Amino acid sequence: MAFHSNSISPPPSPLAPLPKGEGRNPFAPSALEKHKKIKETAAQWVLAAITLMLVVPVAAILGYLFVKALPVLSFSFLFDNPANRMTAGGIWAPLVGTFFLVLISLAAAAPIGILAGVYLNEYARDNWITRSINLAVMNLAGVPSIVHGLFGVGAFVLFAGMGRSLLAASCTLAVMTLPVIVTSTREALAAVPMSFREACWNMGATRWQTIRTIVLPNSISGILTGVILQVSRAAGETAPILFTGAVFFMPTPPHGWESFFPYGLDDYCMALSMHLFTLATQVRGVSDEYLYGTAVVLVGLVLVVNSASIVLRGYLRSRKKW
Amino acid sequence: MSLRFNLILFCLLLAVLACGCDRSRENSVAIRNEGSDTMVNIAQAWAEQYNQKHEDVSVQVLGGGSGVGIASLIDGNCDMANTSRKMKPDEMKIVREKRGDEPKEFIVGYDALAIYVHKRNPLESISMEELADLYGEEGKLTKWFELGVPVGTLGTDKIIRINRQSGSGTYFYFRKAVLGKGKDMKLGSIGANGSKDAVSLVSRTPAAIGYSGMGYATDDVKILKVSRRRGEPGVAPTVANARSGAYPITRPLRIYTIGEPAGPVKEYIDWILSPEGQEIVLQLGYVPMESNE
Repeated sequence: MAFHSNSISPPPSPLAPLPKGEGRNPFAPSALEKHKKIKETAAQWVLAAITLMLVVPVAAILGYLFVKALPVLSFSFLFDNPANRMTAGGIWAPLVGTFFLVLISLAAAAPIGILAGVYLNEYARDNWITRSINLAVMNLAGVPSIVHGLFGVGAFVLFAGMGRSLLAASCTLAVMTLPVIVTSTREALAAVPMSFREACWNMGATRWQTIRTIVLPNSISGILTGVILQVSRAAGETAPILFTGAVFFMPTPPHGWESFFPYGLDDYCMALSMHLFTLATQVRGVSDEYLYGTAVVLVGLVLVVNSASIVLRGYLRSRKKW
Repeated sequence: MSLRFNLILFCLLLAVLACGCDRSRENSVAIRNEGSDTMVNIAQAWAEQYNQKHEDVSVQVLGGGSGVGIASLIDGNCDMANTSRKMKPDEMKIVREKRGDEPKEFIVGYDALAIYVHKRNPLESISMEELADLYGEEGKLTKWFELGVPVGTLGTDKIIRINRQSGSGTYFYFRKAVLGKGKDMKLGSIGANGSKDAVSLVSRTPAAIGYSGMGYATDDVKILKVSRRRGEPGVAPTVANARSGAYPITRPLRIYTIGEPAGPVKEYIDWILSPEGQEIVLQLGYVPMESNE
């Protein structure tokens, strides 16, 4: 920016006599300072407005969905199975299906992802093998979910002989969530200061003792946040489960404890995201409220899980020792 | 200590859930039923109804298209494939080679393919020749006035052709029935994903025309009468017209199994062909088998 010397009034020297204006304040903002102030205020408001624009779509989507879904939202909508050719009843069966899909996929992906992350950050030397593994993990994270779905068909459904099943769909979701869990674990571990480890090593502790007693307790908040954020991703995706295990409809036990376990590991299962897709494109005579209701529950689920992860992170961070 | 305790608790919880998953299906039979999007709603209704009488039989229904169902049948991923077209000779060959048994076909009802236009479209009837001229590769029809729609309403608008995805049995049937063997569709149509999607696209597009099972009619679309030749009176797609053969675009709905079905699958197919199963066909706007009457 050009510097215009004539636009600045020189600062009054403390030794010079005060200017002889009628009561002129020597500390009054100069033209440059006024100019800077205006620019500062403008920048602040513009940036704030742009930040606000991030919130507007979220609020608008949630508000729109909720208002549209209001007529059907009730406890029976959550806890009843779809009935009357999927035009009435609730969404219990797909809801349980989504729960099991997420649970089993995390049970597979979280241990593998976390342990791999620990190895990569704590043990692995910085050589070309480690670098290529890192590159592979990053590329895996960027693969579109439909490609994960096709991989699941080839690897789990056909090659591993699982058939289309809850297990195959969960494994496909696990592969999809794995790279982000590895990456977030590594980042959480890397945030633990090196001096902690060095102090521990100097006490004669082995690497594993150091990891177990010093590094993991201090990075658990970051690791858990990474894992929980993958819950919402696994719950929301349709493409990976479309060909690997999700089903349009299957009869499920309507009540009793059996309704909590409607699917065997080798069964098909219903899932919320798939349910929403089929309601929208295939089921005839379903009223729009049911579509919106299903969408609200799916979005609500994701929101609750994400908020829980933020709260948990805050709690664990407050226990940090540095 | 507390971390270890939590870990043990978590593992126990997982074990309980896994047991629950395993035990819940001990005494029940699962029949997997996959295929045609046209039939997915009937298949779902059958499954729901059948489960009310036979709680131990769980019929699991999946759409995707006739081709998807047949591929799944060949891979052993499903027990029954619903198709809205006949199995092709090369598919039959693959079944024999891979599964060592003949595919067995059941005709479980009929579907009259209705021609849908927007409800404000003044057109009442269309002929098969005009449809071929509209959808076919060498067809010359592009504007509504060429079909006799007054210029004031829609006449000068381009006809927007709604088509189906190429895995769809409806697509294959329509192409064969309207264009004849070996002819191809004209490019530039809009592909709808599923029977319901095709109708809902038409309902939102005033200048559109599309085809779908007659059961998919809604209040926002109009069904055209169809005649075989230009100038002949059109025939409405009704149960009676479909059965008598007066309506020109009627096709059987089929279920394929590998070999002669046995056990629960046979009982299920028998039930579908019984008056109770056929009643559901009628309720959903398709045409039940003649023997029902």
